[in-house]
Amino acid sequence: MSIIQKTDFDQTLTFWPRHNEALYRRLESKHAWLEDRHHGDGAPADALHNEMVLNIGPQHPATHGVLRCAVELDGETIQKCVLDIGYLHRGVEKLAESKTYQEFMPYTDRMDYLAPYSNNVAWCLAVEKVAGIEVPERAQWIRMMMSELARISAHLLWMGVGLMDAGAVSVFLWSFQIREDLYSIFDQVTGARLTVSHSRIGGVVSDIDETGMAMIRDFVERFPDVHAGWVKLLNRNRIWIDRNVGIGVLSKDDAIELGLTGPNLRGSGIAHDIRRFEPYLKYEEVDFNIPMREEGDALARYFVRMEEMMESIKIVRQCLEKLDSLKGPIRTDDAKRAYPSKNEVYYSMEGLIHDFMYTDTGVAPPKGGAAYHAIEAPKGELGFYVQSDGTGKPFRVKMNTPSFTNLQGLEHMLEGGLMGDMVILIGTVDPVLGEADK
Amino acid sequence: MSKKQPTTLAFRFTPADSAAGEDSNPHAKASTDVEATLEALASHFSDAVEEVIAYAGERTVRVDRARIIDVLTFLKKEQGYTYLADLGGIDRFTEDDRYEIMYNLVNMDQGKRIRVVIRVDEDSMTVPSATAVYKAANWNEREVWDMFGIRFEGHNDLRRMFMPDDFDYHPLRKEFPLLGVPGSLPLPPQTPSGGLTLDPFARAHGSIPPKSFDEPAGEDD
Repeated sequence: MSIIQKTDFDQTLTFWPRHNEALYRRLESKHAWLEDRHHGDGAPADALHNEMVLNIGPQHPATHGVLRCAVELDGETIQKCVLDIGYLHRGVEKLAESKTYQEFMPYTDRMDYLAPYSNNVAWCLAVEKVAGIEVPERAQWIRMMMSELARISAHLLWMGVGLMDAGAVSVFLWSFQIREDLYSIFDQVTGARLTVSHSRIGGVVSDIDETGMAMIRDFVERFPDVHAGWVKLLNRNRIWIDRNVGIGVLSKDDAIELGLTGPNLRGSGIAHDIRRFEPYLKYEEVDFNIPMREEGDALARYFVRMEEMMESIKIVRQCLEKLDSLKGPIRTDDAKRAYPSKNEVYYSMEGLIHDFMYTDTGVAPPKGGAAYHAIEAPKGELGFYVQSDGTGKPFRVKMNTPSFTNLQGLEHMLEGGLMGDMVILIGTVDPVLGEADK
Repeated sequence: MSKKQPTTLAFRFTPADSAAGEDSNPHAKASTDVEATLEALASHFSDAVEEVIAYAGERTVRVDRARIIDVLTFLKKEQGYTYLADLGGIDRFTEDDRYEIMYNLVNMDQGKRIRVVIRVDEDSMTVPSATAVYKAANWNEREVWDMFGIRFEGHNDLRRMFMPDDFDYHPLRKEFPLLGVPGSLPLPPQTPSGGLTLDPFARAHGSIPPKSFDEPAGEDD
């Protein structure tokens, strides 16, 4: 008897009965493409042939946040899977409509909280596009360098947690050791470790000082050796390879059809990277490669991310070199479109008025203007569609977040996999629920 | 319906004519220059294309709602826009044809990005589903249904995306209050045997649940 027939949800559940009933109904009625595959081949029935409906999450350490999976198992094989998200839904898009453009930026820190700097940059670029604000060169290089450091930090967490899911707890601790250095850099440069909020519309809030530059230089020097150590440990590690090879395979066509982005797409053999596709900031002027693998399994995605970290180091090196010689303003010198500098605010009347006006009303893009700007965040294409009604607050903000897009592919990936691989597969997709749930 | 009043100061200090003009936008990308696609659309769907809006170097094509599946199929099969990057709704509130749905399509081979938009009237809130053309539209359409209450015909799993199905409102509509509707979404019980918490600010209103280590009150207390 199925779980739907057995259970009277209104009687047994006081909390969200309709939601749970809908979820399990979907699981039951979902077309299982596996049945088509298994029942035709005349293979003997599995000794473990028994069906079970299992609920995993939302509170589960392996689901990387509050992801909930309802799965139907046949023995150890996942026959059908329905993901349920929204447990961290805060309505950020709704909140944006009541904030000024600059006021909204701290909310983006809390979306993909593993790479807050990238989110800040994505938001600022989208607003700058809809309002037509130019950004000084130096600010663009600073933004680019810090975004790449954020990418390394996000990939390090993916690696540590992914390996912990596979049973190797020590790598988790090692990756946090080096992430600590990155957090110190962010603390020095931006004034905060996690919620950085360093970017401003029209530039960045403060310049990098010599200490910050020295810390980044030191990190760039040390990181390749650390990275090489992990590569040595993992690339030929029998356990790690066996856990990853050939699971969660997505073909090229499937990956495009399901709309996957970022390293997951590149692991399936599609060299699509927003940094090349529509270069923003100064990515046209730096030299880097886009790592890509053809296999489309979890191992391919592992290689892509590991190589991406080294490409990021390459970009950071070029940024450091450029920033040594490139001096200049770090924010647009137009007080109607960007915050005036603190010197101006403290020592001139106009500066004070502009600062007040910018906090109160802020930048007001022309009425009816709408634009979409995407960046390559660590997890894939992060885009903001911003629509203006001529006031200082956005009329509509639509966020295109990579974790949301990738999780849709995870549902497909899990079906047909083994229950034991599920944890690895969630790790390989690298979702952040703060971002997927908006 | 009366015109919505802006809540900020009435005078806008950014002059409107300094707009992010057509060609002067510093962030305009080469990928959004899609003249060839626009020409193809105009010649194939001369009756369906209602408007082409240009802003910040981007092109937004507004098409007839009834023809959207034809247009999407044409763009995917003939024009190479195989990748659906984004799909979302917009509430225009005071205008006629209140809602908009936008499709953000990417052509990876030629490096192009185009935005297609349809308008939905409040009286008929049903739109043909794009899931038959782009599988990736699945969750995005569920999100639009959740947030705006627009139904997608032909979508095989139209549950709410973020909010639970026990919730009766569509929060991204402009008339939905920012603070929410009290009592619309019960929170879990505060004690294992207790009832649902209907007050979203229970603690602020003086209801402090006992800790697990607290002794329950005896009968003679």
